[in-house]
Amino acid sequence: MSAPEVQPGWLARHGLARPVAMAMLVLFLLVPLLPGEYWTQVSTEVLILGLFAMSFNLLYGYMGQISFGHAAFFGVGAYASAMLFVRLKTAGGSIGMLDFFLSLLAGPPVAAFAALVVGFFCVRLTGIYFAMLSLAFGELLFYIVFSWYSFTKGDDGIQGLLPPLFFQDAVNYYYLTLAIVTLAFLVLWRITESPFGYIMRTLRDNQRRAAFLGINVRLHMLINFVIAGSFAGLAGALWGPFSRSVNPGLLGWQESGVAVFMTLIGGAGSLIGPLLGSVIYTLLQAVVKMYTVYWPLTIGTIILLIVLFLPGGVLGLIEKRLKARRSAGDGET
Amino acid sequence: MAAILEVTNLHKHFGGIHVTRHVNFSMHEGEQSAIIGPNGAGKSTFMNLLTGYHRCDAGKVVFEGRDITNRSPHEIARRGISRAFQVSSIFVKMSVAENVRSAVHAQMRRSFSILGAASRIGVEETGRVLALCGLESKRDLIAGELAQGDKKRLELAIALAGKPRLLFLDEPTAGMSIEEARSTMELVDRLNRELGLTVLFTEHDMGIVFNHARRLTLMHRGEIVVQGTPEEVRANEIAQKVYLGEHHV
Ligand SMILES: Nc1ncnc2c1ncn2[C@@H]1O[C@H](COP(=O)(O)OP(=O)(O)OP(=O)(O)O)[C@@H](O)[C@H]1O
Ligand SMILES: [Mg+2]
Repeated sequence: MSAPEVQPGWLARHGLARPVAMAMLVLFLLVPLLPGEYWTQVSTEVLILGLFAMSFNLLYGYMGQISFGHAAFFGVGAYASAMLFVRLKTAGGSIGMLDFFLSLLAGPPVAAFAALVVGFFCVRLTGIYFAMLSLAFGELLFYIVFSWYSFTKGDDGIQGLLPPLFFQDAVNYYYLTLAIVTLAFLVLWRITESPFGYIMRTLRDNQRRAAFLGINVRLHMLINFVIAGSFAGLAGALWGPFSRSVNPGLLGWQESGVAVFMTLIGGAGSLIGPLLGSVIYTLLQAVVKMYTVYWPLTIGTIILLIVLFLPGGVLGLIEKRLKARRSAGDGET
Repeated sequence: MAAILEVTNLHKHFGGIHVTRHVNFSMHEGEQSAIIGPNGAGKSTFMNLLTGYHRCDAGKVVFEGRDITNRSPHEIARRGISRAFQVSSIFVKMSVAENVRSAVHAQMRRSFSILGAASRIGVEETGRVLALCGLESKRDLIAGELAQGDKKRLELAIALAGKPRLLFLDEPTAGMSIEEARSTMELVDRLNRELGLTVLFTEHDMGIVFNHARRLTLMHRGEIVVQGTPEEVRANEIAQKVYLGEHHV
């Protein structure tokens, strides 16, 4: 997999970052106005997986390394939160509001710890080796969760993650998710626009040169890996109460692939690209699944077309259009 | 004047090829000198050894009294040694200003700053370095899309942003027009004269070498053949034979 196509920050360069983010926020706020619960449910999924994909893009778009095992941290976050959840449940099977939030908070730190251990090894490598090692660790964690029945309930997964009554309402849970994902987005934005965020871009472009600037390359990569893992864990924590259960599949390579797909579709060149990718991917999946059982075939074809014809994703295409128009405009003056 | 760099008995081989052989070399603070020699003489390898890019097989490198032999590149950079590469080695997808700014952040030890705004940290220093290297008007261009000469100038700017006390320049003017080469070397002279920056450069253009270096070291097959003032080297018979002869000086 070659380095991502578009320079992060181009939305900002065009003065579009804020308007695009605001427009998306407004649209997300309006979703529950649609009749029926269905689209609210789908949009909750869009947001959670979008956060997961954005965390993946810290590694891919910003640091220039592709991970095929990022779902491990999504899954670890989901499990950490779910396991605390079931322990905090009352005898009656319900959970208090405070305990519920406590269980959500368990996701990121545990995922961060897992990312610290995995990252310690992965950051020693780059390119395809980094990708393969991340895949191997992802599958390893999947296998541990899958087979350690006494601790994780194995492939039965953990069921009955029924949030407090207020959040059992799809719209309320949606708005909770929207609030958390928006907050996470703002923090991620801060990070990608920080000196550290730009050091990540230098590592993406030229690790050797960065080292000669006095940058401890592996240490910076490891920190980024842990940050990415903890945001994946936050997304995972939101997933359990949403789907009322967690299962080992959340850690598997197919789930990792979802983040890769979303990022390729939306564009790796900006923070919001993967979120847009999630919108497209998840909506498409919802629609396609209504009509056929051939979702894998459909998404496979789409990814193929994007890789071949739209290497910068949807946002990359828009950028090219903007550039073309701008230079056409220059020609007239 | 004190020796800022002291290299003793440096040795390196790649497989069976000995590319640096028992090299002894030193530099005084504030000195500006050049390493010359035919292609493959080992000039770039020598710089790679001094900056931690290659491991030395034997020998010792001491910078400002401290042993830096086989330290990692980032540690050596932090001690105050910067380098510019023979083939420009820049951050191709970032803008010119972002290239320099990140180097400034690294120098300020702000690379771990996660929540600060990159655009507000080290602004003045970034502007100063860009102006120094004549890159102000190109600050918003993507580095990978620059002309060859501008890439080399950015290469130099990144190295200078590290506020080095010792600067290695590997063929700083390669790929530049005559005018660009002249202004680049004038800048190097100025940094050396005004800031006392110690500079070691390699160069194939003997006009530049004789105009801008006060001391020359001629390398051939990994060994130092002759060392001295430009006049001494020019007058040296071996130097004429292995290198200078072909350059008609
Ligand atoms: N990483 C490496 N592995 C194997 N051999 C190498 C390596 N780097 C350099 N060499 C060899 O070491 C010798 C010296 O190369 P070096 O690049 O240092 O020469 P140079 O003096 O800088 O030449 P030029 O003037 O062409 O830049 C050459 O024979 C080269 O092939
Ligand atoms: Mg060389």
